[in-house]
Amino acid sequence: MGSLTPDFRFGNFVASIVWLVLVVLALFTVLILPIIFFSLFYVPLPIVDGQVLTPYLFFSMMVDPSRTLPIVQFFIHTDIFRAAIFPGFAFAALIAAVTIFVERKLLAKMQLRVGPLYAGKVEGIFQLLADGLKLLTKEIIVPSGADKPIFWLAPIMFVSTAAAVVALIPVASGWVVADVDVGLIAAFAILGFFPLIALLFSWASNSKYPFIGGLRALHQLIAFEIPFFLSALPVVILSSSLNLSDIARSQNIFWNIFILPINAFVFFISSLAELERIPFDLPEAESEIVAGWLTETTGMIYGLIQLGSYLKLYALAGLFVILFLGGWYGPQIFPQELIPGAHESNLPLLQMLALDGLYNPITVNSIFWFLVKTIVVIFLMLIIRGINPRIRIDILLHTGWYKLIVLTFINLFVVLMLIYGGIIGPEGVISIR
Amino acid sequence: MEKDKTQNNQTNLMEVKEEKSNLLSNSLINSITTNFGEQVKLVYKKENRSKIMVSPENLVETALYLRNNHGFDHAESASGTDYPADNQIEINYHLGSYSNTDYYPYIVVLSTRVDRSDPKSNSLINIFPSVEYHERETYEMLGVYFLGHPRNERFILPEDWADMPPLRKDFRIKGR
Amino acid sequence: MTSLEEKIDEAKRLSLQITKETDDDRLMTLSVGPQHPGSGHFRFTIKLDGDYIVFVDPDPGYVHRGHEKMCEYRNHFQNIPHLERPVIHDSCNITYAYSLAVEDLVGITVPRRGQFIRALASELSRLSYTLYWLAIYGIFLGHSTMFMWPAGDRELLIDLLERLSGARVTNAFNIPGGVRNDIPYNFKEKCLAQVNYFEKRLKEYDNIFYNNPLVRQRTEGVGILTKEDAIKLGVTGSVLRASGVPFDVRKVEPYDVYNEIDFNVQYMKTCDSFARAYVPVLDMRESCHIIRQLLDKMPESGDVREKLQFNIKSSPGETYKRVESGRGALGYHVVSDGTPKPYRVKASVGSFRNLLALPFLLTGSKLGDMPAIYWSLNYWPVEADR
Repeated sequence: MGSLTPDFRFGNFVASIVWLVLVVLALFTVLILPIIFFSLFYVPLPIVDGQVLTPYLFFSMMVDPSRTLPIVQFFIHTDIFRAAIFPGFAFAALIAAVTIFVERKLLAKMQLRVGPLYAGKVEGIFQLLADGLKLLTKEIIVPSGADKPIFWLAPIMFVSTAAAVVALIPVASGWVVADVDVGLIAAFAILGFFPLIALLFSWASNSKYPFIGGLRALHQLIAFEIPFFLSALPVVILSSSLNLSDIARSQNIFWNIFILPINAFVFFISSLAELERIPFDLPEAESEIVAGWLTETTGMIYGLIQLGSYLKLYALAGLFVILFLGGWYGPQIFPQELIPGAHESNLPLLQMLALDGLYNPITVNSIFWFLVKTIVVIFLMLIIRGINPRIRIDILLHTGWYKLIVLTFINLFVVLMLIYGGIIGPEGVISIR
Repeated sequence: MEKDKTQNNQTNLMEVKEEKSNLLSNSLINSITTNFGEQVKLVYKKENRSKIMVSPENLVETALYLRNNHGFDHAESASGTDYPADNQIEINYHLGSYSNTDYYPYIVVLSTRVDRSDPKSNSLINIFPSVEYHERETYEMLGVYFLGHPRNERFILPEDWADMPPLRKDFRIKGR
Repeated sequence: MTSLEEKIDEAKRLSLQITKETDDDRLMTLSVGPQHPGSGHFRFTIKLDGDYIVFVDPDPGYVHRGHEKMCEYRNHFQNIPHLERPVIHDSCNITYAYSLAVEDLVGITVPRRGQFIRALASELSRLSYTLYWLAIYGIFLGHSTMFMWPAGDRELLIDLLERLSGARVTNAFNIPGGVRNDIPYNFKEKCLAQVNYFEKRLKEYDNIFYNNPLVRQRTEGVGILTKEDAIKLGVTGSVLRASGVPFDVRKVEPYDVYNEIDFNVQYMKTCDSFARAYVPVLDMRESCHIIRQLLDKMPESGDVREKLQFNIKSSPGETYKRVESGRGALGYHVVSDGTPKPYRVKASVGSFRNLLALPFLLTGSKLGDMPAIYWSLNYWPVEADR
């Protein structure tokens, strides 16, 4: 404390940042642009359509939508865009941020409070921004005796591993960062890294509470990874593919959850355990072991781990939707053209607004339904936190080993019986394709 | 020291209750005096309370007698009072009963006085396990050493407390 | 079920073993508190063998203020505001016992209306304390909604106490001779409305917390304190009643107007953490009945306080008076030498007595049971330190 004056206002803080940006822009225009132009004067420029491509010409060419849109179209199909922005990191991080805010507001309403209220006038929508800035400015304390390389590396590993799971989740047909044939196995394999990171980090922080938390994370992994895999096995049998996009495509008529309700339940419970959320937040049980494996985290290390865990939340909700809720399939509600008649008109502005050539009704519809389903699943995961206490470690292990594994087998046998009985499957009476 | 209680005497119910309490305390005190004779001195008798004073060497057997024959099975508190004028420290055990429903409202104050310059007393921990922390507190607050208590050591006071036991009368609060 | 002696022997054997095997890597010493979200102003050292606790050593005293010594320097009225500090949520009860003791020494009777009002204040205070305790029990089990609901509903009772005494928590309302002031205008209706609403909320607590299967899994059959052990350890209050002893000072030794009130002593026979967590809720229901009866039977007018001199001198002698507080029997042993200041004040508080059950119950239980057992003992660290 002490650095925050009593008359500190978040609005003033944001205003000062906006001022800073404006000043930088002004300097750019007044100083840097002239320098660029002076240097371009000495550089031979290419000739396009018989004209020298000066920067002015470049910008005036770009204003024409018929020239701009193909560039955008090209750009959004590059791998870098997919990995960094749309189905990849930025999109998932945005969803994670929204999830954190919605979680806080939702829990607050359940608990008869108001939740974040002050940052950003309207219901505290900038609370997350304020928290993030606070975390950025906090001192990072490394415990004495800590294994420094691992201590610094673990949060980055955590976020990048979470982003790697996100990369496997398709949001629409063809809209996936890494369309691999063994997508499901790859997702499980990457998810298996998280307890290892927790254990490494807890060992590296050289403290007792993190150590117990890390061990608990490891126990939880072993107890819940097996039902987690097994619950996805009948899905693979039904769709005869490990590719997540193919699994989603196989459910275009009939969602898997109607055949595999028990497995969907087991998968949901296991993913809660995987996410270390209440009632399975044993590695972070604050009334027993302070904050578990996060005890020694400070500042942005904590922020990164939180970001990673919410990315993971999105990834697992997406995986649930792909495996059981029919992926991106849903009734077509978007029109064929965003603005009817825009395609025929020659007005550049109308073409720009209609996103002609960019707007694909089927893809947009797919993304919309995928998002709706994912948000519903995320909501279910959030609500559980408000109504349940923490479970005890022996009950957790018992649940994982004895109950969930048996439950997955029930549904597996049902599916196998239906297939061998010739009722469903490729040559069955009822075709689910 | 015996004081006639005037309050709560309005209803018949109260009188019956007081009579019952009187009966109880009479029977209790009679049985103690017949057993221990002159060794036990009755200090006062009030509604539901009586205080008996024993010498330090008779403390354990009186407590044992109270537990085995009257069902006083726990101590509500064990405390001490410092009397520098008499050069004595008085140790009080407030004994209550959970197993004998008649004695539910009753508290027997079993007290003894030990020498202030070298305060030592027999611990009652083997008779009433409930006195463990109370005796430990009395040890650090008044400096009474309890023979037979496993841990005569610091409990509530700061770890670096190096002054005299604070509840003795010659320990003065600064500025008062 | 092992008996107390066996368990004590076992604990001693283990502790001996531990002192011998200090270099053993098998055991891990964990310090729970004072900077730990699951301890309060309190520390206990536990030794872990895997997930099992084999040794517990409580170390209270982080908020020791020496109230007993402070009492010797102040007169009876000056003692009231600092005596309520150990449990500010239950301030009306903790000053009630001291007031009774002083009245006994001075030899006065409180006016009838005053008796009703201070019983009312102490019941409200008990409700507010129990809600606070319940909120912390909720968050100790990781149930965040159960933290917020009682903490929010507690405001209703705090508002009532504020209307009654002018202060939200540190009321200093029960003083020797009665209560400080009469109830304000329109208090009765407001109080009835709040208490009726509060009773409805208690049912919702059942639905969200006590009937939750995960809460039941965590608390049922955990930390069993049998009737015999409870009696031997001399525990009190809800811990004792959860072990099947129907002992409530309000019933067994009615003070003031409690002999005119019709209520039951709520107790359970399951002896586990769940019983210890649920008996206070049953008590809260009884308290609501008691408050309604008190409001009903209260005389319409009359004095609320026997006017006493500020430096009232009491006759030499001693007394031990107790009341039923939120944590059990709370007794004050007051010795007077005839001066306005007490010669010696000893508070026998429920928390300090229940603390003895902590090592007994934790030894041999799992680390995950630690919060469920510890906070079910109705232990308030500040009160135990005094």
